[in-house]
Amino acid sequence: MMNLDAAESARRRQEALADLLIMDTPSEQSFDDLAFIAAEACDVPIALITLLDADRQWFKARYGVKTSETPIEQSVCRLEIERGTFLDIADLTADERTRENPLVTKKRGFRSYAGAPLILRSGIVVGRICVIDLKPRKDGLAESDKAMLEALARQASEQLELRRSAKLSHQLTGLQTALVDIGETIRRSQNTKEMASSTAAIVGQTLHASRVGFGVVDEASDTIDVLAEWTTAELGSLEGKHRLGDFGLEQGIAIEPVVIADTGTPSPDTRAPETGIRMTAVSIVEMPVRDAGQTIALLFVHSAQRRYWTAEEVSFLRSVADRLEAGVARHRAEQQQGILNGEISHRLKNMLSMVQAIASQTLRGTTQQDAFQSFEQRLLALSAAHDSLLESQWVEADLRNVAQTVASTIGFDNRIVMDGPPVALGPRAAFALSLIIHELLTNAFKYGALSSSEGFVTLTWTASNAASGGELTVIWCEHGGPPSSEPSRKGFGSRLIRAGLVGAGGVDIRYEPSGLTAELKAPLARLAAG
Amino acid sequence: MMDRKVILVVEDEPLVLMFATDMLEEAGFEVLSAIDAEAALTHLEVRDDIRVMFTDVDMPGDINGIQLAANVRSRWPAINIVITSGKPLAGGWMLPADVPFFSKPYLHHRILTVIEKMAA
Repeated sequence: MMNLDAAESARRRQEALADLLIMDTPSEQSFDDLAFIAAEACDVPIALITLLDADRQWFKARYGVKTSETPIEQSVCRLEIERGTFLDIADLTADERTRENPLVTKKRGFRSYAGAPLILRSGIVVGRICVIDLKPRKDGLAESDKAMLEALARQASEQLELRRSAKLSHQLTGLQTALVDIGETIRRSQNTKEMASSTAAIVGQTLHASRVGFGVVDEASDTIDVLAEWTTAELGSLEGKHRLGDFGLEQGIAIEPVVIADTGTPSPDTRAPETGIRMTAVSIVEMPVRDAGQTIALLFVHSAQRRYWTAEEVSFLRSVADRLEAGVARHRAEQQQGILNGEISHRLKNMLSMVQAIASQTLRGTTQQDAFQSFEQRLLALSAAHDSLLESQWVEADLRNVAQTVASTIGFDNRIVMDGPPVALGPRAAFALSLIIHELLTNAFKYGALSSSEGFVTLTWTASNAASGGELTVIWCEHGGPPSSEPSRKGFGSRLIRAGLVGAGGVDIRYEPSGLTAELKAPLARLAAG
Repeated sequence: MMDRKVILVVEDEPLVLMFATDMLEEAGFEVLSAIDAEAALTHLEVRDDIRVMFTDVDMPGDINGIQLAANVRSRWPAINIVITSGKPLAGGWMLPADVPFFSKPYLHHRILTVIEKMAA
């Protein structure tokens, strides 16, 4: 029976070993050399660097022995390990603690043993460097050999620490790179599901996990909905809805981060093994994603193997959860903004309908019916520009989209051929363009190409990239109509056109025999401005 | 007066209702106006000569214009329907292919053209 102190020291030793990131790693020259020196110096056939895990002893370096580990019960190194002192057993067959040990009783079994403790800077003893002989040693190990073995033990311990630092700094670089990638991914994401799915993939690959998922928690319905997931073949999918209880969570109880190295080992808190979904993985980390004090989602990382999660990995996951939280908040704000914009747009369009109705009633019964029709069409051109702007939350509108929407609102979209690259227009330029296109359309219908059934219009535009800043050139060109001529009177429509895209002119109208041509120029920078 | 074709206009905004009513009356139609779906159904149940229903989508009451249209389509399949709204048609609302949708504000002569064709 182990007493509690021994159990506690075993637990601390396991943690320290896991933290060294060394268990089950391939052999390394620096440790092999120490074992070789120990064997040669003490003139024995066997030397080992032994690390004492919970259920086994594992050899980081072995000289004269083939096996890489044995069950912990067969370990001689573990004897008196809590004392942290040198262990010297001159005849293993004479010591009651070892004489039944199969390693001793077997044919050509071990007969004498001497081991120096491997003590970390923290004071925790994680194992021993030992020398073993197949014949008994009458007086034990010579004092000088003992001193030498202790010196080698100090070397091995130091090597363990240095090795850990190097591994950790490598791991940290990996984690930091992943965090930058995740930040970028979240910023670019359009919605929560997309954000969760790409984040899960990066986390899974970085931590070499078996399954990473993002579940939206709904306390009211006692469910967690796994929206997105990244898995290897080792563990199945958890996508879809689960009860909170299946995830080991309880309704109404704040969700805290959970880090479990082995779900099969009773936890120190509950003293019971895990149940439910947690049991489908061997090792897990769960990180709550909170919003306004409430847990809204859970980021979980599962591994099919028992594994120790370093403090750096846990803090990495905490940062990932923080970033996801910011992402969720942003998506929600954008969604609300979208709803708000939709509502404002709805009201604006109802308002335009009322303006239209008032104008109609005001001019009713007068001789102004032509004027009302012009007014109505201009109002609709504005409304069309508004529709184009709404698609990008009123920040910008695509030139083609504006022109097309106006043309189809007025009813001529099948008689205009458009060609040009995508050009983003700010709200002012979008409104100006919509009114200009409308005036040109109306004019073409009354006097120009669209007044004859064969006539059509080409609307082309190019964006130049001059050193002084790019310039947009839009060309409206009528074909197949009657010859055009300059009107004697310049009305409102003509003034609207001549004001240009940014209100500063830049408009050249030519009345050619083949039809009217209008060329509109404006600096791109001015067009994009609100 | 005898042969005027009957159009039902459903619109909760009085100014816009007035505008639509005048537009249709000037074009020679008899117009029944309703400020919500309930009032529209009352007309529909009493009159059997309605040719076209021209309805807004967002209205006070439990039934919106889309639901009203679905109702009319199943109970009075002979009545043609035209829908208008200040909102873009939300995803999930499917209109039958023969029900045209006009975004508000609309060009009145385009609506007239469609309704005249339907009522003919």
